[in-house]
Amino acid sequence: MRTEERNGVAGAGRDQFPVGMRVLAVDDDPVCLKVLETLLRRCQYHVTTTNQAVIALRMLRENREMFDLVISDVHMPDMDGFKLLELVGLEMDLPVIMLSVNGETKTVMKGITHGACDYLLKPVRIEELRNIWQHVVRRKFSTRECVTLDTYEECNKPLSADSDYAYGQVTCGSPDQSGRPSKKRKEYHSEEEDEDEDSNGQDNDDPSAPKRPRVVWSVELHRKFVAAVNHLGIDKAVPKRILELMNVEKLTRENVASHLQKYRLYLRRLSAVASQQAGIVAALGGRDPFLRMDAFEGLQGYQAFTSPAALSSFSAHGLSSPRNNQAAVVIQGRSIHTGSVSSTTNNSIGDANKYHLSLQGNQHGKLAQGLATSLGQAQLQQKWMNEDNGDLSAILCGNSLVKGMPSTLRSVTSSTLLPQDQVECTQAKVAIQPSIRAPPASLELLEGAVGASSDPLESRVSQQGALPLCGFSGSRLPVHGPFNNNGATRLGDAFSASFRPTNDLTVARGSKVGASSFGGTIHLSPDTEQKYWSFGSGNSFRQKADESSADSLLDPKLVWSSSQLTSNVDAHHSMSQRSNNCSINIGHGARMFGQISANASPVVPQAKIDFLFSGDTSMARNASESSIPRLQTELSSSTCSFDGLLNSMIKVVTQLISLYLVYHPSYFKEQNQFLEARNPFLFIII
Amino acid sequence: MAAAMQLNTLMSNMFATGLLDDQFQQLQMLQDPSAPDFVAEVVTLFCEDGERIIGELAKLLDKPAVDFDKVDAFVHQLKGSSASVGAQRVKNTCIQFREFCQGKSRDGCLKTLDAVRNDFYDLRSKFQTMLQLEQQVQASFYPKQ
Repeated sequence: MRTEERNGVAGAGRDQFPVGMRVLAVDDDPVCLKVLETLLRRCQYHVTTTNQAVIALRMLRENREMFDLVISDVHMPDMDGFKLLELVGLEMDLPVIMLSVNGETKTVMKGITHGACDYLLKPVRIEELRNIWQHVVRRKFSTRECVTLDTYEECNKPLSADSDYAYGQVTCGSPDQSGRPSKKRKEYHSEEEDEDEDSNGQDNDDPSAPKRPRVVWSVELHRKFVAAVNHLGIDKAVPKRILELMNVEKLTRENVASHLQKYRLYLRRLSAVASQQAGIVAALGGRDPFLRMDAFEGLQGYQAFTSPAALSSFSAHGLSSPRNNQAAVVIQGRSIHTGSVSSTTNNSIGDANKYHLSLQGNQHGKLAQGLATSLGQAQLQQKWMNEDNGDLSAILCGNSLVKGMPSTLRSVTSSTLLPQDQVECTQAKVAIQPSIRAPPASLELLEGAVGASSDPLESRVSQQGALPLCGFSGSRLPVHGPFNNNGATRLGDAFSASFRPTNDLTVARGSKVGASSFGGTIHLSPDTEQKYWSFGSGNSFRQKADESSADSLLDPKLVWSSSQLTSNVDAHHSMSQRSNNCSINIGHGARMFGQISANASPVVPQAKIDFLFSGDTSMARNASESSIPRLQTELSSSTCSFDGLLNSMIKVVTQLISLYLVYHPSYFKEQNQFLEARNPFLFIII
Repeated sequence: MAAAMQLNTLMSNMFATGLLDDQFQQLQMLQDPSAPDFVAEVVTLFCEDGERIIGELAKLLDKPAVDFDKVDAFVHQLKGSSASVGAQRVKNTCIQFREFCQGKSRDGCLKTLDAVRNDFYDLRSKFQTMLQLEQQVQASFYPKQ
């Protein structure tokens, strides 16, 4: 039996990627291992083999930089392949491909939800192995977004990227290989690539292409951007003025222009969701602040939304296109009934369908609108999530929304949330109730509502607002039963990334309400692997979606990096609190994003996907912070620990993603594409 | 070249009777100057590993209280290696074997174990012949001085 380590010379041949890509192959069966090794060598990769998972882990831990990709068997005597998958995803953020002679759907699903970026069946054919390098590239690109503004790296840098990250990053244009979920991401990336024509895009098809400085929209940068946009008013925000306000060196008007375009789309998306929410709030008979009402409406709307028809419409459209559809659907479906508010919300909902930007611009002025938007978006998100067993859809929604949401939510919430956090709470409650009725949908609503409510006050409002929502939603959610965390608190921007059907949403957190609104609850399916979903509103979630143990589905690692969060001290505190509460409430150890964010800033070793939504924290959109998704993780370990949060997030997201993929593969793909295309801010890594 | 012709006949026979499938051909195609003994190594590994697994299976099934999960795990492993090598018949027998495991039928397992053993030994002896013939062919082409 071979136990060994033949090693891949580090760096050797990396320049000719994929030639020389360093693969670690793990399989207890010597025959398979030998065959695999030979096949990989034939593809000109550097191969290291071992027949024990523990040795593999040791090698990886000793030097994470030694390998680009891991291929592992599922059934191994010393450690379950899924477990290895999870660990590698969490600790090293490397793409992992599962291998097995067992091709049953549920096993494949498990691999994906645990974070595998691919799942191959034995006997493996060389054709399949020839393309595995794309997983590396993809991941690498995904993580690139998080880089600072002055990153002038070539996109083509060799890649240790993970292919399966649905980052909006540039993809190498690797062709889709198959219909597998992981492949969708590839497509997504490709699409993203196509759409991303602005200078921020990376074009890495040709490694030898002339280097062009690439602007990376880091959280900080984005925050400034959003601040500038809000200051000018979304309607009046022109790249030139924004550039002036931002006052960042080396940023060109073109950079800003393309970023603005994406931002607008994002807002539009958010508004679609918000409108849903608004509907709900309205239905609830919202009270004073628009925000609240909207939130409720959103919730209600959401619920209505979840109706299969509505959902299907969402799923059918995926994130990108359907935004309007969804919004529209929402509006129709919902009982957007709000008393005085309703009119506003209706308006806002209408707006939601359109660019969210407009909402944003006026947010202060138009609470209702903002609310509606965010709600709508939240709803949309939720809806999606629920639709698909909650998990995937949620993720998708979250993702899509996240992109657009962060800003939207933020603005919405901030504007809407006025010092009535408390009020909101109650309202949120109300809102939530209706949503609760709806089964999975409610989760989403809550989320949306939470998001919306969280935003209310400018700087903090969002946070707080969110809380109330969250809190309520949380409580409500359990009622629903299978919601996944999603419902729980979606604070302002919070985008519940993954819904775990079993988790009680952060709603449980609701108890906490009061305090800072929790940005959002990210429910990570326990299995989710590593993906960290970075939630736009400045929350960066790190999820390691990778081959999440839960399912091989998505394991994307979503990295939530809440740079913003960290920046807002208040936010953090509130969030932390919230998270504490939430986590307590939530059985599953959902972690308040806030917590994570707080911790996250310094951390995130595993950076899976760093989604930085640099919402504008400065804008007092605490929404971002508040919208920190609650991570629910199956991990029962310390809920509030960053690691735990990450893990849970990953798991949740992964699960969600996986679920989603499973249920709506096409949808997911679309969504991913959309997300990638649209969201420089939001990266969902799966 | 009698050896070459015999080898040819043997291989065709193995493919024709379903003992081997095209995965084995893939392995053959992988053999090249950079991996000159690839097929021989893989085949040898398979024979050794298969022998070991069958031994373990016999021991497990011999116990009064059979641990079907362990049995299943071994069968799964044998299935994996035979699939990787292209040992079609052994693989198919393993599939049947797993069903009996899942059904927790000891008798079914024992019977299938015999079938697996027979198929495996049959394949193994043919593999050994194949390797010998190949060596002869190589020797005749590249006579060592």
